[in-house]
Formats: sequence, C-alpha cells, structure tokens
Amino acid sequence: MPGSIRISSLLLRLKSNLFTIGFFIPAFLYLFSFFVIILIFLLKFSFSGNLPLLSLFSSAEFKQALWRSLCFMGVGTPLQLVVGLLLALLIQRSFRGVGAVRSLFMIPIAIPALVTAIIIDLLFSYPFGPVNDLLLGRHGFFPQLVSVPVNWSGSEFLSLGLAILGKTWRDMPISMLILLAGLHSIEREQYEAAKTMGAGAWQEFKYLTLPLLTPAILTILILRSIENWKEFVFPFVLAPSYPLLGVLIERLYHVEQNPALAASVALGLVILIALTTLLFTAITKVVRRYLVRV
Amino acid sequence: MRTLKFVLIGVVLFFIVFPLFMMTKYSISDRESIVTGGEYPEPFFPFQPTMEMFGLLWSRGDFLKAGLTSLWVGLLAVAFSLLLGAPTAYALARFRIPGIAILLFFLLSVRLFPDISAVIPVAELLLSRPFSLLPPVILVGLAHTLLALPYTVYIAKGVFESIPRDLEEQAFVLGAPKSSTFLKILTPLALPGLGAAAIYTFFLSWNEFIFAYFLTFQGTETTLPVYLLRILSWSPQKNFISAISVLICVPVIIFTFLVQRHMREGLTAGAVK
Repeated sequence: MPGSIRISSLLLRLKSNLFTIGFFIPAFLYLFSFFVIILIFLLKFSFSGNLPLLSLFSSAEFKQALWRSLCFMGVGTPLQLVVGLLLALLIQRSFRGVGAVRSLFMIPIAIPALVTAIIIDLLFSYPFGPVNDLLLGRHGFFPQLVSVPVNWSGSEFLSLGLAILGKTWRDMPISMLILLAGLHSIEREQYEAAKTMGAGAWQEFKYLTLPLLTPAILTILILRSIENWKEFVFPFVLAPSYPLLGVLIERLYHVEQNPALAASVALGLVILIALTTLLFTAITKVVRRYLVRV
Repeated sequence: MRTLKFVLIGVVLFFIVFPLFMMTKYSISDRESIVTGGEYPEPFFPFQPTMEMFGLLWSRGDFLKAGLTSLWVGLLAVAFSLLLGAPTAYALARFRIPGIAILLFFLLSVRLFPDISAVIPVAELLLSRPFSLLPPVILVGLAHTLLALPYTVYIAKGVFESIPRDLEEQAFVLGAPKSSTFLKILTPLALPGLGAAAIYTFFLSWNEFIFAYFLTFQGTETTLPVYLLRILSWSPQKNFISAISVLICVPVIIFTFLVQRHMREGLTAGAVK
C-alpha cells in the first residue's frame, strides 16, 4: 500500500536523522516554548474578563505614558544616531592608538544599565551635586548659570531628559559599531577619486559617506527605535514620577498588583514596536529605491 | 582637521570616563567630601580618601550573599546555555536541515518581545507552582538562559564552522560514532570559542536587571543589581552606593577588554532582532 510505504519511509528518514534532530531540538524547544507561553499569556490576559486591552484606550495614565514613550523614542533615536555617527567617524581611519581609543569607546556598554542610571542620579543630585555645583558657579572655572539649584527629578522634562542622556551614553558603542561596519564597507577608491576631483572633507562627507552609509543608518533607526520603545531601567531610576510604558508595566504589576492590565500594556508595547518596525521598513524600501535611481 | 579630530576624541573620552571617575571618587570619599551642606562645592578628589566603605561592604553579610547569588546565577546560565546551545549550534553548522530559515527565526523569536513585556508572563509562570518550589537562583538562571541562548547558538555556530570538516570525516572513517566525535574531537577544539560565548553569557547575566528584579521581588535572595536598587530605596550615602557600583563594574570592565572582539560579534548578532 502506498500510504504505509510513505509512512515507513518517513519513519526511516526520521530515524536516520535522529541524531541531527536530537542535537537540534533542546535549545529550539526551550526558546520556542517560552515564545509560545509568553504570547499565550499576554493574549489571554489582555482579552480576559472585561477586555483590559480595550480599556487602555480610555485610561489617562496609559495615554500619558504612551506620549512620554513616544517623546523618549522620538528624541532618543536621532540623538543616538548622531552620537554613534560621530564616534564612528572619529575612529574610522586608523591612526596610532586607534585600537586603544576604540576599546575605551566600548566601555559604556560594559557598565550595567542600572549602575549608569545611578551614577547619573548621583551626578545630578539635588540640591547639592556635582552638576548643580557647576551650574551655580561654585567652582571658579565655570560661570554661574542658575541662581537656585535645579531639581532634576522634580521636573518631567528634565528627568526624562536625563533618562535619554543615560540611554544614549550607555548604548553609544552599539550604534558606533554598526556605523563603523558601514563605513568600512565603503571602498577606499571612491574616496581617492573624490579627492582627485578636489572634494573637501565636508563635500566628501555629504556626497559620498552619507549616501553610501544610508543602509547602515536605516538599520540603526530601526534598531534604536525598538530599543527606545522598550526602555525600562533608565526612566525607572531617573524619572519614576513620570512613568513611560515600561515603567507603567512594572507599576501595574507590582504596585497595583494587576497582572491583566500590566500584560495588556505589555502587549500594547509589542504591537507598537511591530508597527514602528513596519513603518521604518517601508521607509527603508522607499529610500533604497530613491537611492538606486540617483 | 586632524587637530579637530583629536580634540573631539578627547572630548568624547572625557564624557565616557568622567562618570566612571566620579563613581570611583565617591566610593573612596570621606564624609566631608560628600556631605557639604552647601557651604563649599564637592571636591573633585576626596579630602581624605578612605577605603572605609569597601571594608563595610566586606563585613556585611547581605552584600556577600548577593555577590554569591549573582555568581551562581551566572554560572547556571552559562551551564544551561552551553548544554542546550552547543549541540544546536553544531547541528546548524554541520547538517543540512530543511526549512532552516524558519527554524532560525524561531530560535530568535523569543527575543522579539521587549524584556519588560516578556517578564510579566515569565514571572507569572515561574512564580507559580510547580516552578516556584525551585530556589530563586535556578529561576533567575533559567530566565537568563532564555536571554543568552540565541547569542550562544549564534557564536557557537561560528566556532563550529571554523573547525575543518576533515577532522570529523577522518573520525567517521575510523569508525567513531557521531556522538563521540562531537564530545571527544570537536568539543576540545571548540572550547576556546565556546569560552567566549560563556563569558558573554556570564556578563549578560551579571548585568541583567529586569528579570532578576521581577523574579526575586519578594524574598531576600537576589542578585547584585537588584541588591543595589534595594539599597537605593533607603536613600543611602553617595559613597556607600558608589562602592557597591564599583564592585559590580570592576569584573565587567576587565573582561570587556579581554573578550572585546567576541563581544562585538555578539552585539552585531543582536542586529537580527
């Protein structure tokens, strides 16, 4: 019978590949089952009972957090791109000691995010801290800029600004490395040709480096916007009074003990990230087409 | 132009080193250097440097306990991810697997969730029976394995691909079974590369905050970053909190310099998510 032959040949193939499957399956099973569990839990909670996911749209707390997250993403992403680009351009060409400089540029990513956030909290402490000392003109070498100490954590604008600063500081090396890889993929001959034609450094950057770097830049924009949407540690430590989405999830789960609502915000965050990625991917496609035409 | 570049490098280095310098400075500060009462600015170097805070930490049982917990969690995460990840990486590097692209996607799929979103279901699952009966060290270790495993597989795949196939073929010709080829011939050769994956996993676990925080929210046993946060809630002196921070950072900074090359690969591997 053809059916049983097919099954037995399938079994035979399965048996001869048992080793491969046995090797492959453990990690795969571990990761995939967690993927399924997380997805099911989030969906189950978000659509349980009185549909917490839908109630989010009428919650002022959620709208505020969403707005803050959007600002965090909208300011942080371009800032991190520019800083990463600056760092990458600085160590693009090799010079004596470039290896050491690159190693030093890598330090921030090694420091735990929580420690970075706490250092920033100490530097910007109120009323007396190093930055306030400086702004008050208490060190001879720096002019006085304010007359009363700045209460950083008491202002929504300033505390979220500090959180963005911390995030940018810590993640500098990641953007730098991706852009550096992009810079190194530009062929040296192109620069030589530009130089022969009499291009200055700025023209070289504007007409050669920047267009050829566009793919790397778009990659950074996608990765950084995801990373900024999901940020938790920096705002959690530096702006606890002004929760953005990540901090709101923690608060709903621990303080208000409402796992269903926390999971709904968590699912909302996943959806937002997916939408942003789709948007940026679409932009990437348009830009690539435009670049090819040029 | 050249001068401008070196000036800029200097400025960037200043911004990178300054916070770390301040952290170190605070950790060895005496009381007068941090409690100024607004009468004089905080000095950029303590009036009377002291190691007092480190002595205090050394004598505090809870700090050492948190350090040991961090160590155990890290080692567990390394052990789990290598045991699960190395065979998978070997299979990916050596055998033709149908539908490999989809399988690779599923390997990375769990990292598509933001940590702060994924942690709610993971905490709900691991903090309910039967998992909640396990000690917290194992729970956090399992969570960190979840984070590190995709990178371990990716790094280990590269390691196995760099080992020439001929070695295994010779072993097969001599009649060695696949499993002992893997254990006795490939594993020793792959160890240095796998070591890099292990160090990467260990420090991912050492630095990790979100999962450790949620999984040890109640209870006393916790990792160093969570311990640091708990201390912060008592509004401690700047020198005390800085001394803990320094002790958390020192091992990471040393190892970052040692395994930088592999870390770079690990970071760009993350580009897939």
